[in-house]
Amino acid sequence: MNWFKQLFSRRRLYDDLSAEIQAHIEEKADELVTSGMPRKEATAAARREFGNVTLMAEDSRAVWQWPSIESFFADVRYGARMLRRNPSATAVMVFTLALAIGATTAIFSVVYGVLVRPLPYADSSRIMAVFEVSSNGGWSHLADPNFDDFRDQNRSFQTMAKYNSDVVSVSGASQPSRTMVSSVSPDFLKVLGIQPILGRDFTASDAKKGAGPTVLVSYGYWRQQLGSPPDLSQSHLKIDGAVFSVIGVLPAAFRFPPDVDLWLPADLNGENPSRTSHNYFALGRLRDGVTVEQANRDISTIARRIHDTSSEQGDYLLKDGIVIPLQDSITGKARSALLVLLGAVGFLLLVACANVANLLLAQASVRERELAIRSALGAARGRLIRQFLTEAFLLSLAGGGLGVLGAFWGLAGLVALAPGNLPRLDSVSISIPVLGFALLLSTAVAAGLGVFTAARATSGDLREGLVEGGRGQAGSQGSQRVGRAIVAAQIAITLVLVVGAGLLGRSLVKVLEVNPGFRVDKIVTMDVALPWVEDPKAKASQAIFFSNLIDRLKQIPGVRNVGATSGLPMNEDGGLPDGMFLLMTQNEVPKTMDALGPLLQQKELLGSADFCVATDGYFRVLGIPLIRGRIFDERDGADSPHVAVISASLARDRWPNQDPIGHTIDFGNMDGDLRLLTIVGIVGDIHEYGLDAPPRPTVYVNLFQRPRSAITVTMLSDAGTQLVTSAARGILQDLNPEIPARFRTLSQVYSASLGSRRFNVILIGFFGVVALLLATTGVFGVMAYSVSRRTREIGVRVALGAGSGDVLRMILSQGLRTIFIGVAIGIAGSLALTRTIESLLFGVTATDPLTFGGVTLLLVGAALLACYMPARRAMRVDPMVALRYE
Amino acid sequence: MKKSEQRDLFPGALEMMILRTLKRQPLHGYALVQHIKRTSNDLLQIEEGSLYPALQRLLKEELVKAEWAVSSTNRRVRIYRLTAAGAKHLEHEVSRFEKMLEGITRVLARGES
Repeated sequence: MNWFKQLFSRRRLYDDLSAEIQAHIEEKADELVTSGMPRKEATAAARREFGNVTLMAEDSRAVWQWPSIESFFADVRYGARMLRRNPSATAVMVFTLALAIGATTAIFSVVYGVLVRPLPYADSSRIMAVFEVSSNGGWSHLADPNFDDFRDQNRSFQTMAKYNSDVVSVSGASQPSRTMVSSVSPDFLKVLGIQPILGRDFTASDAKKGAGPTVLVSYGYWRQQLGSPPDLSQSHLKIDGAVFSVIGVLPAAFRFPPDVDLWLPADLNGENPSRTSHNYFALGRLRDGVTVEQANRDISTIARRIHDTSSEQGDYLLKDGIVIPLQDSITGKARSALLVLLGAVGFLLLVACANVANLLLAQASVRERELAIRSALGAARGRLIRQFLTEAFLLSLAGGGLGVLGAFWGLAGLVALAPGNLPRLDSVSISIPVLGFALLLSTAVAAGLGVFTAARATSGDLREGLVEGGRGQAGSQGSQRVGRAIVAAQIAITLVLVVGAGLLGRSLVKVLEVNPGFRVDKIVTMDVALPWVEDPKAKASQAIFFSNLIDRLKQIPGVRNVGATSGLPMNEDGGLPDGMFLLMTQNEVPKTMDALGPLLQQKELLGSADFCVATDGYFRVLGIPLIRGRIFDERDGADSPHVAVISASLARDRWPNQDPIGHTIDFGNMDGDLRLLTIVGIVGDIHEYGLDAPPRPTVYVNLFQRPRSAITVTMLSDAGTQLVTSAARGILQDLNPEIPARFRTLSQVYSASLGSRRFNVILIGFFGVVALLLATTGVFGVMAYSVSRRTREIGVRVALGAGSGDVLRMILSQGLRTIFIGVAIGIAGSLALTRTIESLLFGVTATDPLTFGGVTLLLVGAALLACYMPARRAMRVDPMVALRYE
Repeated sequence: MKKSEQRDLFPGALEMMILRTLKRQPLHGYALVQHIKRTSNDLLQIEEGSLYPALQRLLKEELVKAEWAVSSTNRRVRIYRLTAAGAKHLEHEVSRFEKMLEGITRVLARGES
């Protein structure tokens, strides 16, 4: 008989077997009756002699089964029946697990996609980012000659390349646009291991000074803007006024640096000879066998040599160099916040598991009699443990399955909510590794819950369950103690989570209380860039263009004022450039840029500030207050003496106890214009780099004296954003149809700058609230269970004269003990753990007493409420009913 | 509830006795167990039920076969019968058992002297 036939004939085999056993017992009984025994006794004796019928039948059937698999299925069937029998408890457990596993999976998918998933390049772990280390220990971009030295002198890298990215005006494609471009050195794609899918890569001759301009385009740009021509020889783009030949198309998924559509050779106008102009990122691919540490030592040696031998000594010259994996350099800033989120959701998972464990434990103690019977019928302890494990697996697989479905949905929300500056968001998805993680997580949860309940439920002598008539008091005392321990742990973990959420929430409130120093509402901004020019005359005509544009924009109905700046505050695309200026008078001004270098060594002449090009309207539109002196006006024409307005913090820092107005400075280091600037006014500080960063000392110069080709126009308007935007677009088209513009409102920029903080608060706050609910129901469950178990005891007490107040006190004090133990552990844990989020806090310390106190009160209050309801029920116990209850 | 204090048989002993009994004549379960008990002069206290798992094992290995019949007492019973493979298996097992017994006996005899 083969196994296949067996499978189908088994029903008959089993029927035969039971008929046979039945016949055996009857025959035996008949025989005993014949020998004179009464029928009733005979039947009992026959059964006794036969032995354990159920066990024998089971053992006999087992001969025909694949024992492990089939008893597993039997366990599953039985487990499913048990879970169905108590549908509300099962639903609660499955939902709790689904929520926790779903949330954990969603957060993990973000952590995995951003931090863990390798970059999509060949052998991507060998690609390193290289930085200069500046005198204050910070990392900075590379100056051209420094990069050249690194590239030529290192022995660690196969190839090195530099790159940066910028938004420029591009025309010649289907429509003019502001497009992200990256200027790269010729080996850029070789370092990343990327090849064009059409056309060719850059060669060294493309990067030579004066070479015919060439450009590589992204796959998306090739399809949408160029119309996917198979032959590139006729494709040209006008980028910043110069005509570039399209020589290649890059693979579809390739967008590095992020959001870039066009790659151009760097330094077509020649390199910048300064060792203190930090303009490029750098990356390199390690030679085989070279470790990151070796590369680090190598680059560091070269960097120190540059430092020791350079003629450009000063704060802006590199002090050292550093090499880190490219992946770490991309995700570095997001790392700590994401890990905090993962930790928080892990806590939520623990709290949820604790709730489920408690429910299972309560069910298990109800099932004591069932277990006792099964064990009396010959079930081994291992078999019972397996039963619990199977049930736990059913629960957590159901929960995990639902959770993963939820994670798909939750992830969409998460990605939508995620701050714009979170890197690699496009690589976040519910991928195979994430699903594997979810499965592993569910399994771990199942194993934990199963082993725990099984160990609790099958410990001790199960037969006592029978002896005691099914009340199982001895076992339940222990399980209640465990239940209370679980609740205490839940309260502790919840406290940590809610304290974390509270600290982050209070930080957000504190940040929002910070006065940004400028008006945020009702401002529409417009990024406009003309082709980059060097010739002073061309620059002057661009200034006239902007002046016309601003005058025309002022005519839009509803627009109250118009200004322009070289950089909006809180802009995620990057802030203002900063540099060194010199305090000097007219006759000290150097004639050439080269003469500037030695002067920059003289510390007593130096000042450091951000450099902002603006118009008078900018201060008015943003409402930046004038503290003293004046802002720019008609007097400050292109040919008049150049003037500057400085921020209050710069005035305070550089001219303490003096009046800076009337002093002259040279900031030619920034824009190459050596003409002196006379300080004419002091304006209020603004939080340029976000509310949580201190204001930076800033020098404002006049756009009409120091023209530049790319500006952001700011319009203060009572009219709707749509109206202003379309009117402004029309005016720009009218002036020059080839120039694209990008519109935003300042409140969008402002709100985006708070994105990551808001993201953390919303998520951790959500986890905290859910944990609080779970912990509260946990307390409620354990207390209600304990009260129902003690009904008779309470009845006796009441019968013996205990008042309802005494009963209430008794129940509450039992609950309070649990709560206080949990709170004490939670506070200790919070004190230890909140330090890890210190870098995310603002305006509060990691041990903020207000947060700790408030959260403790909240938690104790919620837990007491959860105790009070069962306690009230205990108070109303009618002694007669309670005593008859048994 | 503990198992009765019977002496456990060594594994395979029950099967061997079943096969030996069936070699003499086909029997149904009840008769089989009564025969074994009687022949052993009730020295072997076997639980009657324990016969059935053993019979199922033998059935599965096709050492015996079973068919429904009507007994002398006019009862529907399942008669077990030795197969050729069963007979061969019995021979093999018996000779193995005798060797084992001989070995044990020698050791016990040496210990006494």
